[in-house]
Amino acid sequence: MAYTPQYYPGSTSVGINRRKHMSGNLEKLRDIPEADIVLTMGHRKPGQDYPSTHPPLKEMGEPDCPVRQVVEPTPGAAAGDRVRYSQFADSYYFSPSIPYWRSYWGSINCRGCDPGTLSGRQIIEARERDIESYTKKQVDSEMNDVALSSMRGCTVHGHSLRLEENGMMFDMLARTEMGKDGNVYQVKDQVGIPLDKKLNLGKPMSEAEAKKRTTIFRVDGVPIGGKTGARKYDEAVEALHHMWELRSKWGYRPE
Amino acid sequence: MVTISDTSTVQVEIIPSRYLMPETAQRLLNEIYNNGGLQRIMVHGPNLPRAVPYGPGKGIPIEEHRDMIVQIGDQAFELRVKVGRIRLELDNESYIKGLEAACERALPFSFQIKRGKFFHDRMTVSDYAKFGKVEDNRLLGLIDPKAKKDTLAILSDERVTCDKEE
Repeated sequence: MAYTPQYYPGSTSVGINRRKHMSGNLEKLRDIPEADIVLTMGHRKPGQDYPSTHPPLKEMGEPDCPVRQVVEPTPGAAAGDRVRYSQFADSYYFSPSIPYWRSYWGSINCRGCDPGTLSGRQIIEARERDIESYTKKQVDSEMNDVALSSMRGCTVHGHSLRLEENGMMFDMLARTEMGKDGNVYQVKDQVGIPLDKKLNLGKPMSEAEAKKRTTIFRVDGVPIGGKTGARKYDEAVEALHHMWELRSKWGYRPE
Repeated sequence: MVTISDTSTVQVEIIPSRYLMPETAQRLLNEIYNNGGLQRIMVHGPNLPRAVPYGPGKGIPIEEHRDMIVQIGDQAFELRVKVGRIRLELDNESYIKGLEAACERALPFSFQIKRGKFFHDRMTVSDYAKFGKVEDNRLLGLIDPKAKKDTLAILSDERVTCDKEE
């Protein structure tokens, strides 16, 4: 029988969403053009050649190494691309993703990437053409909401603040704006440099939709213990206690 | 038995559940002003820089944050923060009901009003280091001693700037 990975315990909607994020089996909600993603990331112009840091691997004459023979290089590594990043901030008001789950998604589903998890933001570094495709997957899927998540290379402040009146996450650099038509527009790249044109990101999720898709446990949403007042905690708490016990007693080495 | 004095000042904090747009902030501040009984008022929230503070875009102006003029009574000032909370000192308890009604009228979403002590009334070492001797004690607690840029305080019709202009 084929092995099916068990990513995360629990039967709450948040537990199910967390499993979905980790497995990479995500619903695609929008289709942002690749050129718009490249503009928002701001590392190169759309259509421009990828600058490289070394010649393509095929031309380099690699040493005879069994690991290199087994592991196929990613397209970016094979071409010798630069390492570039995309960084996201997610509001704690029921944003679909949280930094840890973006990192789990990256570590499990994206080859040759280096995820970095911080309290209010999450960065993934990879070869340029790889990170562009990973970023597009994130932006297009249910991992992202245009009002509650945004790509922020610097001045990321906003994840733990109240929302603005129009339901957008606070952004000190005003990189996105809510249009009169109800769509959210990207007006600056991820480091706050104005774009030549506004990029339409689509409509934000409703509050109910965000609560349905979120991976955040909250007392005013879905608590980690499951239904409040239930006789038994959700499996997520049991698994957490189990891991805590193993970690505390044997330094996470249950031999 | 606790006797509540109707002559001592009360300090309150208004916390809206969302950050306010400049128009809503102006509407709320005007409602508060019209309610009367104000001794001190402070607007608090995350900073809105005029230019990108760091990173590859450092120094690029942020046009969205410019010229956000708020008019309250006969005073106008430029908003430098996203309004997240407002602290007030009122003449006495009797103004609190009117304040609640003012918030109900101005805010299209929920809010909290907390009673407490929000302004300090004795000069701290930081205050002294930054401003020297302050003549009017109402200024204490209205200005941020950690602010690097100018902090603006308005005393009735007299405008006081506590640092060099940008």
